[in-house]
Amino acid sequence: MWNAVWKDWANYPSEWSLIHKMKKTFFRLRRELSPWPRLPGGAHFAACHFCDTLHEAEPLAEGKAALCRCCGEVLYQNRPASLARVTAFSLTALILMVVVNLFPFLVMDGAGIRTTLNLVSGAKALVASGSPLLGIALALFTIVTPLVLASGLLYVCGPLLFGKIAPGATHVAKWLNRMEPWNMIEVFLLGVLVSLLKLDKVADVNFGIGFWAFGVVMLCMAAAVSGIDRDELWDRLEVARK
Amino acid sequence: MSDRFPRAIELGLAGCQTCGKVSRLVLGRCPRCDSKLFMRKPDSVRRTVAFMLAAAALYVPANVLPMMSMIEMGVVTENTITGGIIYFWQGEAYPIALVILTASIIIPLLKMVALTWLCLAASGKIKPTPGTLSRIYWLTEMMGRWSMVDIFVVGILVALVQLGNYMTVSPGPGALAFAGVVVLTMFAAISFDPRLLWDRFNALQIDSSPSKEIDS
Repeated sequence: MWNAVWKDWANYPSEWSLIHKMKKTFFRLRRELSPWPRLPGGAHFAACHFCDTLHEAEPLAEGKAALCRCCGEVLYQNRPASLARVTAFSLTALILMVVVNLFPFLVMDGAGIRTTLNLVSGAKALVASGSPLLGIALALFTIVTPLVLASGLLYVCGPLLFGKIAPGATHVAKWLNRMEPWNMIEVFLLGVLVSLLKLDKVADVNFGIGFWAFGVVMLCMAAAVSGIDRDELWDRLEVARK
Repeated sequence: MSDRFPRAIELGLAGCQTCGKVSRLVLGRCPRCDSKLFMRKPDSVRRTVAFMLAAAALYVPANVLPMMSMIEMGVVTENTITGGIIYFWQGEAYPIALVILTASIIIPLLKMVALTWLCLAASGKIKPTPGTLSRIYWLTEMMGRWSMVDIFVVGILVALVQLGNYMTVSPGPGALAFAGVVVLTMFAAISFDPRLLWDRFNALQIDSSPSKEIDS
């Protein structure tokens, strides 16, 4: 039977398949929007963040980075298919964040009691046991910041993919920049591993679905955050605003 | 001095800290993202030193006071950071002991040493070597977050180990102090401006260049 289904499916023109359509849209968007837009009006400059050396900002090919003449640090880089990547990865991260918060991270069986851990319960337990500041810090660094970062990136880069600018996108982009160092999901993941080893002798601890989803969220967030260069994002915003 | 590259500061241009656009400082605000323009981060060294001193002050209670207390069958055991490392080391879990040692003792200490060094160099007390120092700054900025792992472990254990009379874990005052250390050193790193190192370095070179000409 499966053979028949396969044959039937294979007989359809390839343009009908969803994957084909997605591929076509992706490449069309990439072709149309992929080049880093040149800002209107004469020469543009970039100053090195480390040594303040002034450079004329030349356009770069995809995947290339411009290095400072003086200190050799990266000035700006042109990430391949940046907008499509950022949109895709931040959307994936957002969807998986729902999964992360619905399913437990760790399941522990000890002394006949089963306790489960997810992100919210960790913060709640800290607040309940008398250190609200720590609970707030945990919630800020592992729930709020990743959520705001992912949704902000989606909000800014999604419309840009179609050459439009979302209302208030410049403000969001400003805040994205400031929030980036406070996104600590990879640190939390290490924390989960350490506490797993710590509890190994006390009780029977197992990974839940949330843990694996969180691992993927971590990878997606890393890909989304590093998917677009700051200068490119702001150049695109400036061009789209006009 | 013709071999030196032009710097934005010499032309009255400032690179925006938020969006990277280079524009004239006299504009006051960045024409692209409307954040305030500064030639250098305001009060960079002073702010860094202030944050760092606060972090150093908190570092003592963070290490002396217990991070968490474990109540097992009515017996209370209090765990400090060093206690945790020794526990893992004696349990022959060397990799995990090394991870905690690095994240919660070595990184904060190195960070404070590095920032002190950077501040001294930026204010001209010691010789600035901007190439190495900006690498160190970059590392300080990257590594700071990882110290938070101990706080997260406390949070996870508190949430998980609530087994009634058999065993419960509650956070100690050391955890709050340690979280303070991490957050404050992160603020210290954010408020430091690595371009000050190059400012010092170039100023020194300009000072010494006439004497070189006399020598030759």
